[in-house]
Amino acid sequence: MAYDRKQGGHSVAQANRPDYRLEIGRAEVPVGEPRGFSVLDAQRATTLRAWVTTLIPARGDRPDAADVGAAEYVDATVFLVPALRPALIQAIDRLERSANDQRHKAFSECSAEDREGLLREFEAVDASDAFNMVRDFTYEAYYGHSRVLAALEKETSWSSASPTRGSAMKPFDASRLERVSKLPPRWRKA
Amino acid sequence: MTQPAVADVLVIGSGASGAAVSWRLAGLGASVICLEQGDWVDRERLPKNHVDWEVRGRRFWAANPNVRRWPADYPVGSEGENPVDIYMYNAVGGSTIGFAGNYWRMAPSDFKVHTLDGVAADWPLTYDELAPYYTINERVIGVAGLANDPCGPPRDPLPVPPAPIGRPGELLADAYEKLGWYWWPTEQSITTAAYNGRPACDNRGWCTFGCPQKSLSTVDVTYWPPALEKGVELRTGARVREVLLDATGKAVGALYYDGDGAVREARAKVVVVAGGGLGTPRLLLMSASASHPDGLANSSGLVGKNLMTHVQSFAVGKFDEAVDGWQGTWGGTVSTRQFYETDPSRDYVRGFIISGCRGWSPLNLALQVAPWGSGHHDALDERINHEIVMYLCGEDLPEEANRVELDWEHQDRFGLPGVRTHYALGDNSRRLGTDMIAHGHQVLDAAGASSVRDFGLSPIWGWHLLGTARMGTDPRTSVVDGSNQAHDVPNLFVVDGSSMPTSAAVNPTHTIQAVALRAADKIWEKRRDWTA
Repeated sequence: MAYDRKQGGHSVAQANRPDYRLEIGRAEVPVGEPRGFSVLDAQRATTLRAWVTTLIPARGDRPDAADVGAAEYVDATVFLVPALRPALIQAIDRLERSANDQRHKAFSECSAEDREGLLREFEAVDASDAFNMVRDFTYEAYYGHSRVLAALEKETSWSSASPTRGSAMKPFDASRLERVSKLPPRWRKA
Repeated sequence: MTQPAVADVLVIGSGASGAAVSWRLAGLGASVICLEQGDWVDRERLPKNHVDWEVRGRRFWAANPNVRRWPADYPVGSEGENPVDIYMYNAVGGSTIGFAGNYWRMAPSDFKVHTLDGVAADWPLTYDELAPYYTINERVIGVAGLANDPCGPPRDPLPVPPAPIGRPGELLADAYEKLGWYWWPTEQSITTAAYNGRPACDNRGWCTFGCPQKSLSTVDVTYWPPALEKGVELRTGARVREVLLDATGKAVGALYYDGDGAVREARAKVVVVAGGGLGTPRLLLMSASASHPDGLANSSGLVGKNLMTHVQSFAVGKFDEAVDGWQGTWGGTVSTRQFYETDPSRDYVRGFIISGCRGWSPLNLALQVAPWGSGHHDALDERINHEIVMYLCGEDLPEEANRVELDWEHQDRFGLPGVRTHYALGDNSRRLGTDMIAHGHQVLDAAGASSVRDFGLSPIWGWHLLGTARMGTDPRTSVVDGSNQAHDVPNLFVVDGSSMPTSAAVNPTHTIQAVALRAADKIWEKRRDWTA
């Protein structure tokens, strides 16, 4: 059920066009497993953590994206797909330069409001698709995580357990068809 | 089981149709070899065995072969004004392993589109001829539903009851009652009660992410186990390069690459191609030879042409109440065929269904509607568990310009070409689609939605790939005849969705399998011809 196209902004993943989505099918990164960084150095990892926290901040029982390992998940994906590493590293460096140029401090030390502003600027001019890549991977790491799903269930009544464990439902009540079943046939003979 | 050096029948493809035709022929007494380019799915890896099932569905289980890139996948390009977002699987079970299992019979009028409405082409067979095979398929598969929907001819009771419709179904049924429209519980290939050794569905939903308990009737758990018991030899990892002909022009088998890329040969008295709407034209075009320079069975020039996908969209209603859209078979609520037949008062011919589903899952919904940043949670919370999704599916008329071609610039791992699709919505499809979406909004409004959104008509959802080797009575305008036998090659058959001359307006798997079962009987009836 790959129904996750974005309304109005969906493009078809094709074999003959550069697209990060094409690279990740073979990159299986189970969500929520403890892991460190394999591609990013400590400084860039700090920037990426601040980046993913800005994408999905904490609220109520829901943690922020960094708290559930989204930055490590992004890193683990590009570890498995080396072709994606340059775009990620260059994007982090660019973001860091913007923070230093405009706010005179590291991106991770900026306020949440400033980080969001810097990211919106970057998103608007990013031709590498790195921003979209980090956003999508962050959403994956977040909404695949058991902690997030449990909090979501508590706060919205959306059941996180049902898709893997099932649940009971009332059978269909055929008496609902009383009117329709008495209607005349509605099909053409051919 | 080891088959004789020359089997009675060689089937290429183990999906919906290949499984059905293999099972039927083996049951009749034929020796059958089936070549499948993919492998059995490791059921432990089905996404829904894991908490992060949605993520796995976007990577390992991705429906687009360009993303998934399993060893048997080949590149698929999508060109044209409305590119097709291809959803298909290359594995034992074919694309059924990732389907939702909505199982519809076509209507009698669907087989006579040209006669009744003056467009497209008639099928060279009728509903009445196919009906007994629908019944067989329903019994093998274990279809859930209720007979006697007034929008279709009378029929036998279905094997298992309809799926629970939940709150989304109740709201939609109430809307149809309010509107005074026809509606009925949606039929699905899901065992809603224990059936043929498979357990009752326990309402996990999100069926296309795999059904660990085998209630979803993918053919790897329905047709294949008994087919293997009946002696069918299923060779996996067998990527067919070309169909072989003898000096007289009869098909004698196929050359294929095994899992290591070494060429092998399979021989048979009859060859059945069941590679799907892209795979079948790909193989026929790859099988070009001196006697068939434009591709095998392609004297009409129509192999790969007339690609149909259905006119499709989703309408999504937002409700003030929690609708528990996380529960139940995803496609198993209620549907309407109120607008199925041609209505002269409308500005298009043919029609559409509106099929109620459930809600969107968290990752899916977040990617759709929840912007990143400080407003993220508010945007998600406004909609999660408060939306009902409806699938809208209309008839797509065949047009020659919509097509599949070989793509030698992008090849699979053994140097066989990929394919390129070219697709644009026709004028009739556009008008039909616009009206279909408007009616989707109308239903959700009547159900009490506070707002309704939809997904428009493009890019095209490419999970129904039909018409690219179509059947007909005239060899100049069709590839196979009413028995699914190639006009150009006497013992070559095409039995999958590519043989459908029109698409109807319903999910096609049930019809594809019924046609395959019927074709098997046609092959068996003429068995003495194949040895002559």
